[in-house]
Amino acid sequence: MSQLREPAFDRIVALVLRTGAFSCFFVLLAGLITALFIPGRIPLGIERAGVLLMLATPVVRVIVACYLFFREKDFRYGWISLGVLVILMLGLVFGIGEH
Amino acid sequence: MVTVLLMILGFFAGLLGALTGIGGGVLLTPVLALYFGIPIREAIGTSLVAVITTSAASSSVHLQRHTTDIRLGMTLELATAFGAAVTAYLVGYFNRNFLEGLFAAFLLYSAITIMTKGGKIRPDDESSTNASGEVSIPPYEPKNYPLGMGASLIAGGLSGLLGIGGGPIKVPVMYLFMNVPLMVATATSNFMIGVTAAASAMVYYRRGDILVQYAAPLSVGVFIGSLLGARLAPRVHTKVVVYLLVGVMLYLAGHLSIHLLRGLL
Repeated sequence: MSQLREPAFDRIVALVLRTGAFSCFFVLLAGLITALFIPGRIPLGIERAGVLLMLATPVVRVIVACYLFFREKDFRYGWISLGVLVILMLGLVFGIGEH
Repeated sequence: MVTVLLMILGFFAGLLGALTGIGGGVLLTPVLALYFGIPIREAIGTSLVAVITTSAASSSVHLQRHTTDIRLGMTLELATAFGAAVTAYLVGYFNRNFLEGLFAAFLLYSAITIMTKGGKIRPDDESSTNASGEVSIPPYEPKNYPLGMGASLIAGGLSGLLGIGGGPIKVPVMYLFMNVPLMVATATSNFMIGVTAAASAMVYYRRGDILVQYAAPLSVGVFIGSLLGARLAPRVHTKVVVYLLVGVMLYLAGHLSIHLLRGLL
């Protein structure tokens, strides 16, 4: 049995990644262009939003895959995806205030 | 001015990455540290953002070709993400000189590995492609999961430590020991890098080690560079590009060592 060949599944996950990468690109670009005209906090805020968008894209990808696995009643991989999500969230808790 | 330089730097890192399959992180971190005066830990955190960008852009292409094994990737991500989060946390307590030395050693090691492989990084296309551009891959069943998880833990750990993707570890293990076709191994490794890098990038971000004003132009450049690189890849003589890459890596390893010694003396 091959684990590949689920075109719809692949397409949805690809769409999540592409949307994330493109929207991050345009937000960052908007930040850089804004910085040309308005110096200071506003462009930096836009750029920060773009960076956070990039960090969030893989998380959204895991959430979407998790949902798709559970919907297909593929519980084994649904739980595995949930496990990956938990580890990612641990990363958010780790490192608070560490310098 | 610095913004334009960072965009150009990102562009070339993304281009080289897409042409050779070596991620941008291994080049971006030392360049940021050596020529932009960014401390090594912040350089690693900043280039992690670019690594996620590359992975998202390129793995969406692989997914559309249906060469990514999402199930295998998800399973191994349990190990890579965990390893990455743990080492990213530990880096907060590391001596900066130690980190710089480690990075120089890793650069040297990677350059030598690539050279001994005779400039062949990209897998030969073993699977057949039919007229409509669809790739057909023979059925397979991944095996040897414990070994795969172990290797993924190490790859993830290195990723959190140095801000790199870890493809050179995962791809051979999947291909040689897990019975996964080379094309699938490459695509799946690429797919995993986004989540792995995100796990460590969040720790770096919370610690304040991602410099947004540097990460923004860098990621914009990387995005354009990797899109162009993916289009050029079939038409470019890879061997020349790979030797160029090895040269740059050796140079950076040397400069980083000198930089480190100057700091110590």
